[in-house]
Amino acid sequence: MADLIWLHEGALRRTHPVFAMAAPGTPAIFVWDRARLAAGHVGVRRQLFIAETLAELELEIHDGDATVLLPQLAVAHGADRLLVPASPDPAIIGQLVMIRQAVPALTVEQVADTAFVTLSQEPDLARFFRYWNKARKAALRPHGV
Amino acid sequence: MIAALVAALPADVDAAAPRPMAGGRKAAERALATIDPVAYAASRNHLDGAVTRLSPYLRHGILSLDEVRNHALAKVADPRQAEKFIQELAWRDYWQRIYLAHPDRIWNDVEVYKTGFDASEYDTELPADVVEARTGVACIDQFIAMLHETGYLHNHARMYLAAYVVHWRRVRWQAGAAWFLEHLIDADPASNNLSWQWVASTFSKKPYIFNLDNVAKYTGHDINTRMSDNRVLACSYEQLSELLFPNLEPAHG
Ligand SMILES: Cc1cc2nc3c(=O)[nH]c(=O)nc-3n(C[C@H](O)[C@H](O)[C@H](O)COP(=O)(O)OP(=O)(O)OC[C@H]3O[C@@H](n4cnc5c(N)ncnc54)[C@H](O)[C@@H]3O)c2cc1C
Repeated sequence: MADLIWLHEGALRRTHPVFAMAAPGTPAIFVWDRARLAAGHVGVRRQLFIAETLAELELEIHDGDATVLLPQLAVAHGADRLLVPASPDPAIIGQLVMIRQAVPALTVEQVADTAFVTLSQEPDLARFFRYWNKARKAALRPHGV
Repeated sequence: MIAALVAALPADVDAAAPRPMAGGRKAAERALATIDPVAYAASRNHLDGAVTRLSPYLRHGILSLDEVRNHALAKVADPRQAEKFIQELAWRDYWQRIYLAHPDRIWNDVEVYKTGFDASEYDTELPADVVEARTGVACIDQFIAMLHETGYLHNHARMYLAAYVVHWRRVRWQAGAAWFLEHLIDADPASNNLSWQWVASTFSKKPYIFNLDNVAKYTGHDINTRMSDNRVLACSYEQLSELLFPNLEPAHG
């Protein structure tokens, strides 16, 4: 089984758990997706910040539409699994759905970041302090457990 | 690619000069090494307080909330000394959880405005004088210039600007949120838009407002808080409530 990692602008580090999930030496790709960045109101200063971060990361960087490029790159790399840092961004989630449709043989998996707090029950998100009252104890411990 | 982006930056930005919040993991680790959770708790509300400027690194996953929290705990003798700082990290976790569970809340009112006005009574566009930092309210114009010139604002300045836009100018929070997203280096749809909703009162019990005394208390000499240059802010909270929310019943009783 060959993996491919798609690193997006919400998870720009080598210590993200997505790397531990993949086989050693798995290539990691960043797609400079101008349309998605523009739709997300990403200004020039933030683009520079992202580009500086990428320069240090030594990834394969491609310029274009992620939904077009990633299926092609998966085939080119002989990958049957695409690993992606989990994101709440509907634009990224939507692109993952399109990639799955384009290459049905490709398994697409989102990998969660290390948790800030691990809670036994879903917290009530109606107001911050309802969440904080449940999360506080774990949040003040190393690794949030 | 970096060269092309540098070329596209506004002329007043020197990309080669050392900037606070430069990109990359090394810069992130340098910023992380300097955090001081005890000083943070004492001074975080002040514009020159011991805030960490870690937000662009957290926003882009260059640092995780978990590692920042662990680092803060390692710097104090008792976890409670880092509680204020960790609680602020928790705000980020909280907004991210809402983003995942209810992505529709990022651009839609979560609740009605508690300002005595209907959403339809707010303008949908930012006024030109706001975008151009010439509102005539001195401290507000300085905060706008700071946002445009640096891509960073202290939390309190963000709250002041958001409240000014929504409550003084009666502009829908969505217009202000989109404007912030374009300029902030830490721009995050959840932290930003849901904070705008918190200020607006579409995701809180009451609107957030401030007055000139509050600005003067939390800012240094570099911010102009002269009364004559900030007339619309130079009021008591009672006066402001009557002025900004005339349809609401007075709070006392
Ligand atoms: C109108 C408005 C818009 C905002 N937009 C953004 C945004 O786009 N991106 C963003 O990251 N934060 C946003 N915030 C939250 C907060 O202002 C910034 O996270 C903080 O000022 C960043 O500076 P710092 O890293 O020095 O913060 P510190 O005070 O040092 O806090 C440490 C970290 O905790 C987190 N944090 C602190 N306060 C908050 C908060 N209120 N909500 C969420 N996370 C918090 C941040 O990740 C921050 O880096 C906004 C707040 C308001 C009122």
